[in-house]
Amino acid sequence: MRSSAADRTRPTLLDGLVAAAVLAAAAAILFAFRPTSGNFLTARIVLDNELVAEVSLSDLTGPVTIEVPGAKYPITLEAEAGRIRVLHSDCPSQDCVHTGWVSRSGGQIICLPNRLVITVTGGTAEADAVTG
Amino acid sequence: MTHSVRRLTRCAVLTALALAISVCEGLVPLSILIPLPGLRLGLANLVTVYALCRLSGREALGILVARCLLGAVVGGNLTALAFSLTGGLLALGTMWVLLRVPGLSLFGVCIAGAAAHNTGQILAAMGVLASPAIAVYLAPLLAASVLTGAVTGAASILLVRRVPWGNERGT
Repeated sequence: MRSSAADRTRPTLLDGLVAAAVLAAAAAILFAFRPTSGNFLTARIVLDNELVAEVSLSDLTGPVTIEVPGAKYPITLEAEAGRIRVLHSDCPSQDCVHTGWVSRSGGQIICLPNRLVITVTGGTAEADAVTG
Repeated sequence: MTHSVRRLTRCAVLTALALAISVCEGLVPLSILIPLPGLRLGLANLVTVYALCRLSGREALGILVARCLLGAVVGGNLTALAFSLTGGLLALGTMWVLLRVPGLSLFGVCIAGAAAHNTGQILAAMGVLASPAIAVYLAPLLAASVLTGAVTGAASILLVRRVPWGNERGT
């Protein structure tokens, strides 16, 4: 017998503590990344660490589709007043499509195969939609 | 000589097993039920736990690295290699330490291992994206790891008890 932990067949009190510590860590992360309130929502689209576009979601009146140029897997975003989502992506995991609409500040959509991060931030709307 | 051949065979069989488990798990992803990127039951971790308990830390490490490398060859994805290797190594280290803590059962060890694996994966993703943004995913993943860790913990208790492979000498 190499270790005592391998011999026990029932959960112990310490196991409960481990589980509690993991849950506490989850709660702490959730708290650190809690969405902040803001009337003006801006979506920053970052591909491979480079800002591709910044869309002011609050200023949109109708749905807009955005193609991300230079993405490894072709990806199409859809933005409308106050929210944004990945409409379609050719990436293998499809996690970004499954994330669905993001409408709150602090929310994000990540397409890891494309190295694409869409961050929705709230705050003051200074600039109009900038695409570049 | 015979001893090292036995050891090599044992590690090879466990590596093949771990690889088969992780490929099978990939065929039926848990993320279909719960749409959370990176979520999996972590059954391949069973092999790591078993190797840690019944063989040695060195052999467990060898099995893990071989499994991740072969998994990348099978899956043909280099990014996935970074994820599975960081996650796997962090989980292995955590469980190696926790197995030495008295008063802890394999439930706690596996829960911590699952949590460490998810943390490692997210750290790798942070490196790939060069952005801390993805840490948001860590919170639900950690919460889920308590459940998946408990499941693999229960399974590993059965496994380690019923298969006392490393103890037999001779033949």
